[in-house]
Amino acid sequence: MAAAASCSTSTRSTGSVVVAASRNSVTSFQRRGPRASGTDSGCSRLVSIAGTRPSVRNGQLLVSTGLPALDQLLGGGLAVGTVLLIEEDKYNIYSPLLFKYFLAEGIVTGHTLLVASAKEDPADILQELPAPLLDDNCKKECDEDICNHKTESNIKMKIAWRYQLLPKMEARPVSSSRFGHYYDVSKRIPQELIEASKWHGFFLPEKISSTLNLEPCSLNHGYIKLLQFIQNIIYEEGFDGSNPQKKQKNILRIGIQNLGSPLWGDDICWTENCDSNHSLTKFLYMLRGLLRSSLSACIITVPTHLIQNKAIIARVTNLSDTVVGLESFIGSEKETNPLYKDYHGLIHIRQIPQLNNLIYDVSDVKDLAFKLKRKLFTIEKPRCCYNLQNRTRLCGLIRV
Amino acid sequence: MLESLLALGGLVLLRDSVEWEGRSLLKALIKKSALCGEQVHILGCEVSEEEFREGFDSNINSRLVYHDLFRDPLNWSETGETLPGGPLEALRALCRRTDPGPVTIALDSLSWLLLHLPCTTLCQTLHTLSHQDSCHGDSSPGEQVHVLGLLHEELHGPGPLGVLSSLAQTEVTLSGAMGQASAHILYRRPQQRLTHQTQWFSILPDFSLELQGGPPLEPQPYPDPRVPSMDPTTHLTFNLRLSKKEREAKDSLTLPFQFSSEKQQALLCPGLGQATSHIFYEPDAYDDLDQEDPDDDLDV
Repeated sequence: MAAAASCSTSTRSTGSVVVAASRNSVTSFQRRGPRASGTDSGCSRLVSIAGTRPSVRNGQLLVSTGLPALDQLLGGGLAVGTVLLIEEDKYNIYSPLLFKYFLAEGIVTGHTLLVASAKEDPADILQELPAPLLDDNCKKECDEDICNHKTESNIKMKIAWRYQLLPKMEARPVSSSRFGHYYDVSKRIPQELIEASKWHGFFLPEKISSTLNLEPCSLNHGYIKLLQFIQNIIYEEGFDGSNPQKKQKNILRIGIQNLGSPLWGDDICWTENCDSNHSLTKFLYMLRGLLRSSLSACIITVPTHLIQNKAIIARVTNLSDTVVGLESFIGSEKETNPLYKDYHGLIHIRQIPQLNNLIYDVSDVKDLAFKLKRKLFTIEKPRCCYNLQNRTRLCGLIRV
Repeated sequence: MLESLLALGGLVLLRDSVEWEGRSLLKALIKKSALCGEQVHILGCEVSEEEFREGFDSNINSRLVYHDLFRDPLNWSETGETLPGGPLEALRALCRRTDPGPVTIALDSLSWLLLHLPCTTLCQTLHTLSHQDSCHGDSSPGEQVHVLGLLHEELHGPGPLGVLSSLAQTEVTLSGAMGQASAHILYRRPQQRLTHQTQWFSILPDFSLELQGGPPLEPQPYPDPRVPSMDPTTHLTFNLRLSKKEREAKDSLTLPFQFSSEKQQALLCPGLGQATSHIFYEPDAYDDLDQEDPDDDLDV
């Protein structure tokens, strides 16, 4: 370099630069930006936690719900600090599945779990989680897909051959192995994954002894205990930043099952006007306050088909951030509708939050159907299987 | 499936109505489990003990443990016979029972309990009662607790009925036609799909269950009113059928690429008023068209 040859001091400095460059073996420029690997590199300013990614719209930190199809419909994933409400289907067959997907995703990405239920022991719930499709298989599939695309494109590009020189856009981003995994519903999660994960369970019959005669107060006792439990965990493990965490920051995934059912001690499914009309809404309000000030995401399933007072359903929907409703076809007249014969139910995205945003991120597909296959839970737009040959065309040769 | 109702475990809800009563089915199921050697506990609230035991022979009667809440539900006579604490205490005592072996608990009836106990407490107690086997870590499937609850569905609104259906593992709704009783059974296996079945049956005078194929007379075939079939051809955005006028219009249309005589005439003789087209060509700077024929200097 000409500058190097000019004077001794500058030679030494540029010499050291050259030496440093050769040590790095490529360039002395470091790449900035969030990495999904979770290592805290010195140059990146964004906190990178495993299993999260920033939203492309507003930079909000997102976690996966466990179903990549649902993530896409919700605008990339579930925002950290928000509540995902699942309105249960009539016989409660499919909503526990979404609940389990959420928890399984937490285990696979190494998040801490908090499972609360009044019906089943949380340890039993964790035993029944679906097994993740292993990363090597996923990568193998990815590679196969890319190879197929390559061979296909080699055949295709005889005319637009100049485009072959452009860098290839990958069919499936390789980083999806870190955000959003695929699960096999027919298999159980391996025991060692559960043991390696950190989880807290809240089983209501254990925490409340039923023989105590408690005087009624504005909030249900079961809910009070649950809120205290969640608050303790958040404080002790430092999810709200109160204890300075020496180790890597992590997300707390909270799952609450069957909230609002009488097993939690709530009357709203029983009568239309009851004394504890506001218990559930107060609980949700306080829960959201706890979530907003900590690194956590919550999934709740509520049997809204049993709630007698429609106003409570509307309030509960407004108090949650993201609301997804499941409607299964069992026992309804839609079971015999030929439009829906391939599917098991409809999924309604009722609400998507406006977080730090003025516009809604509403998906343009309004009617979506789901199907539980043996290994997979899929969400699709229902295809009209109607025979297209019956359409009339004035200048066509096909006769009706 | 009706005879294997008890093998399924958990809470079995028997929903009856004024026309089709369920107490005889309850007694038939109790008799079956008593004959299988299980312990049977009965919480009787609606009928007296003598009336309930009527029709059972003595060896079955000796196996039944009857908790009587009918005679003195509020414990006014203050003798040692009735259970202190009322129905809730009786249920909790059943929860706390520690004898091994499979047991059947019959609640006659759940409607009475619903009307006399706070609903959430009842639901929580029922849940504990039907999931008792999870407390004992080494229980085999044969040592399950079966809870049979008789519910008069006309006494309650949709709220309590919906809640109890969601709590129950199996739901049996009694109905019938032409003097023949039928049971519509809805069974929820955990983590699996819902199965349902309709079974025609009759109860013999000694309370044994007899399954039948169908009602004795052929009913008129009518579609199940619960599941009407949908016609997909309604509310379509396109036409399925052509009207007569449309059909004629379609038939008389000439196709664009068919060469008919009219078209030939039109092409050969340009009609009046049809101006012949001229092409005016002006070469621009990039065209290098010469007027000469490039083949001129070929020596062929």
